[in-house]
Amino acid sequence: MFRNYLKVGLRYLLKHKGYTFINVLGLAVGITAAILIMLFVRSEHSFDRFHSKADRIHRAWLQEFYEGQIFTNVVTPVPLAPLLQENLAEVETVSRVAGIGAPIHHRGNIFNYPVTMVDSTFFDIFDFELIKGNRQNPFPSKNSIILSEEAATLFFGNISPIGETLELEIGGEKRLFTVSGLTKNVPYESSIQFGLLIPFSNAVHIWSDYVRTSAWSNVSVETYVLLKEGADPAKVNAKIPSFMQPLVAGNYKAGEYNVRLQPLTDIHLDNTLPAGMVAPSNPLYSYILATIGILILLIACINFITLSVGRSATRALEVGVRKVLGAERRQLIWQFWGEALLLTLSALLLGVLLAYLLLGQFNQLANREFVLNADVFTLLFCFSLLILIGLFAGSYPALVLSSFRPVQVLKGKVRTRGMGLFGKGLVVGQFVASIIMIICTITIGRQLHYLQQKDLGFEREHNVIVPTNQQGSAAALLANRFIAALEKNPQVIDATTSLYSMAEYGWMQLGYKDDKDVFRLFRFNVIDPDFVKAMDLEVVEGRNFMEGNPADSNAILVNEALVKEYGWDDPIGRKLPGAYPQQIIGVVKDFHFESLHTSIKPVVMALKPDAFFENSSDVSYDYSPRPRISVKFRGGNAQEHIALLRENWKEVAGDQEFEYRFLDDALNAAYEQEQRLGNIVQYASLLSIFIACMGLFGLATLVVQRRTKEIGIRKVLGANVSTLVGMLTKDFVVLVLLASVIAFPVAWLVLKRWLQDFSYRIDISWDVFLLAALVSVLVALLTVSYHAIRAALKNPVHSLRTE
Amino acid sequence: MIQLQNIFKWYNTANRPTFILKDVSLTIDEGAFLSIMGPSGSGKTTLLNIMGMLDQPSEGSYHFMGQDVFNLKEKQRKELYKQYIGFVFQAYHLLDELTVYENIETPLLYQGVKSAERKAMVGDMLDRFRIVGKKDLFPSQLSGGQQQLVGVVRALISKPKLILADEPTGNLNSTQGEEIMQLFQQLNKEEGVTIVQVTHSEKNAAFGNRIIQLLDGQVQD
Ligand SMILES: Nc1ncnc2c1ncn2[C@@H]1O[C@H](COP(=O)(O)OP(=O)(O)OP(=O)(O)O)[C@@H](O)[C@H]1O
Ligand SMILES: [Mg+2]
Repeated sequence: MFRNYLKVGLRYLLKHKGYTFINVLGLAVGITAAILIMLFVRSEHSFDRFHSKADRIHRAWLQEFYEGQIFTNVVTPVPLAPLLQENLAEVETVSRVAGIGAPIHHRGNIFNYPVTMVDSTFFDIFDFELIKGNRQNPFPSKNSIILSEEAATLFFGNISPIGETLELEIGGEKRLFTVSGLTKNVPYESSIQFGLLIPFSNAVHIWSDYVRTSAWSNVSVETYVLLKEGADPAKVNAKIPSFMQPLVAGNYKAGEYNVRLQPLTDIHLDNTLPAGMVAPSNPLYSYILATIGILILLIACINFITLSVGRSATRALEVGVRKVLGAERRQLIWQFWGEALLLTLSALLLGVLLAYLLLGQFNQLANREFVLNADVFTLLFCFSLLILIGLFAGSYPALVLSSFRPVQVLKGKVRTRGMGLFGKGLVVGQFVASIIMIICTITIGRQLHYLQQKDLGFEREHNVIVPTNQQGSAAALLANRFIAALEKNPQVIDATTSLYSMAEYGWMQLGYKDDKDVFRLFRFNVIDPDFVKAMDLEVVEGRNFMEGNPADSNAILVNEALVKEYGWDDPIGRKLPGAYPQQIIGVVKDFHFESLHTSIKPVVMALKPDAFFENSSDVSYDYSPRPRISVKFRGGNAQEHIALLRENWKEVAGDQEFEYRFLDDALNAAYEQEQRLGNIVQYASLLSIFIACMGLFGLATLVVQRRTKEIGIRKVLGANVSTLVGMLTKDFVVLVLLASVIAFPVAWLVLKRWLQDFSYRIDISWDVFLLAALVSVLVALLTVSYHAIRAALKNPVHSLRTE
Repeated sequence: MIQLQNIFKWYNTANRPTFILKDVSLTIDEGAFLSIMGPSGSGKTTLLNIMGMLDQPSEGSYHFMGQDVFNLKEKQRKELYKQYIGFVFQAYHLLDELTVYENIETPLLYQGVKSAERKAMVGDMLDRFRIVGKKDLFPSQLSGGQQQLVGVVRALISKPKLILADEPTGNLNSTQGEEIMQLFQQLNKEEGVTIVQVTHSEKNAAFGNRIIQLLDGQVQD
């Protein structure tokens, strides 16, 4: 029996090649999209789950209430880890993880490779694979260092690194480290990333005794906690205040300083907490993607159903005959579902092949390195797709066709005239989804364009940022020599040093209490007098700093937003009330030193930082404060610019690594997620309209076939080709227009929500809707008219004779 | 074998019933070869479908082989049908996707006959009707007469006691039609298969041993 079904199914599919092709291709494309999106969503949800104790590992985070503001931090005080270990019986072990700036001196070069300092319990908690070395005692001495394969290759090439040495500059002093272990590279799906590990005992070189033992408002390290088997994190969380509060009672009331534990596996998709070593993902994006994947699959399944509906007249006769021959309904249901599964299986094979071929492109799109493996999960996923799609897509023939009664069909009673309400509804549904995606594509594209060309208040083109990766006077010296060398070049318009450049979205944030006891926050940067000119900032009141004017070291520039916040009419000559001695000498026009997601905040710029840090009660930063040199070129070839910079860098700092960033690249990086979403939605909308049109094409074939005779008669009666084409296409166009009307409000709501993420955004304009509707109607018209025109041009003698 | 008593069949069109069969009572003995004649629209097909359990009357009772058909459960009726009845159609209604061999085999599949046995049964039939050479052809590759022959063979494969044929020769030329009629006669005489056929041709009707006329849903004996 099964063999018979298979045979009939295959023959049926082969006989109606066009129908099979459209179905298989549509489903295959849908399956390809589903598989690729699955890789993405799976990766997002598998972060940190490769640790065998993942469900017991937590990261401590800090929440402080201070003067009506909330500060959250995933970076914690250094003494927190031992404190938790001592006071919580549920804690099995703890490890601190701290990224430190430690230039590496190796064979005459200086590298700025990230160095991570961890407790020796690190490998007890985490499963990072140690290829060489001892998990129990990873750091035999304070001067042991463990390398990832990548770091090992970078520093030592292909030889075994064990026993080799590296010189790290820690706390201003070069120290010799001996390699004691080698790890596999850290997987992408890890919230903890490292290349070089050194033992935490080196903290003595970095932080004072006070910081290491009792500075509770000073945050420097991530704290990871392994709970004992069966420990309840909620109970552990509840116990913390009892021993934490007495320690901070001097500065915080009860409930104002809270340490909490966050499950390791929650880190990646919880973007309510600030970024740790790796920025968390917006979980919304994986949901959006999953939705898109399901939509595309749905559109492909609907194709299958509409085409089945279109063919039902033919299949109904078969149902009648088979029933007369003794078939029971159950057997027919199996037969039809079997056929649907067979077709889905071919689509699945093609879809997997396509996914395999397109993986490279998709990786580029998503900026990842996914691989398509035949692992259990993927196989299970494909199998579920097969069953779900097969059952869903085959449901119409299996459940509806199989119920036809022979007396009716054999008499020819079941005549599906036109498309039927059901078929029409499905076509409308497909186009609703497609049109929504088209509208989103265009609007996202426009918003991104807007972000990229918006006047930021400074010049973004032909600007290159070179970080010094040094601190204090060493950095200043280096910067001055570099700038002096550069300015001899005619291509260089200007070069300037600042603590932060425009490329770091997130300048240092300072907070203080003003004379009226109001807590004030502002962004802070240290610049040189050239900064304003080099960045094309506009001084709207007062003046810029002057070169060689000693009085200016006690002066500040502020932006309009700050003046507005303090409500001043005459800012020049004023001081920030309360803590700082500096006088305002100038006001610059507001400029976007942060991404356009946020509105412009108050800014203070000074020539010297020292007084500010001393007088601020709160200092926090995302990027380490190290002088950066911004170089403005006259335009021309970017590669030449870099070559020029590299050459001059060699001269003034030959032993140090040369790094650079193009300013416009750095600025655009802030919208990377949106850019990627935009690209993906664009492909998705192309795919969905493509699949929907294939369905339409198939449906048009069937409709025209069914009406061949009618067309012939009308032609004989004198209808001309254009009226006939009009008659045949009208129905379809009406459907697509109806779909547009349904799609508009949905798209509007979705986009309105999405645009809310930006402080600076475009309005959703009506022409996008019109455009999307027009595109869909045109594409539908083109698809359908192929058949309509062919049918209308046919000699009626043929069509009338064949009946 | 067949006892129809006071069969009525009506459809509600425009809120009042249109009668298609009016009080038809008919007894057909086993071994009969009955021809039903009558003008188009007189209800011949409807009557045949009721006899073949494909359709139900609005009123009346039907006994087949001593069983009260319309008081049987659906499943039992289906069993009865599968065991005893074969259908032949004017439009042949062969399954286009299946070869001659497979078309003939299909009823056996639905009866759950084992593979080896199926092979033997179909092989026998192909031999007997001398269509072995055509067994791998598809319906579209056969002439009308050949298709109807396959249709008859397919109806016979499950060794039915009753063959119901709705204008079996309607689409055939007179030679082809006569061949099918001779076949029916032979089956009826030699194997005792009961045959009920609907026909418009006096000549074909004469092959049987009893003729009834249907006019406006009533038997005109
Ligand atoms: N579902 C229905 N609703 C209303 N009337 C119906 C329905 N089905 C059949 N009829 C009518 O019943 C009558 C009898 O139909 P039937 O097919 O039995 O006639 P027939 O004698 O076989 O005709 P022909 O020789 O043309 O095959 C016809 O007038 C037909 O229009
Ligand atoms: Mg009839």
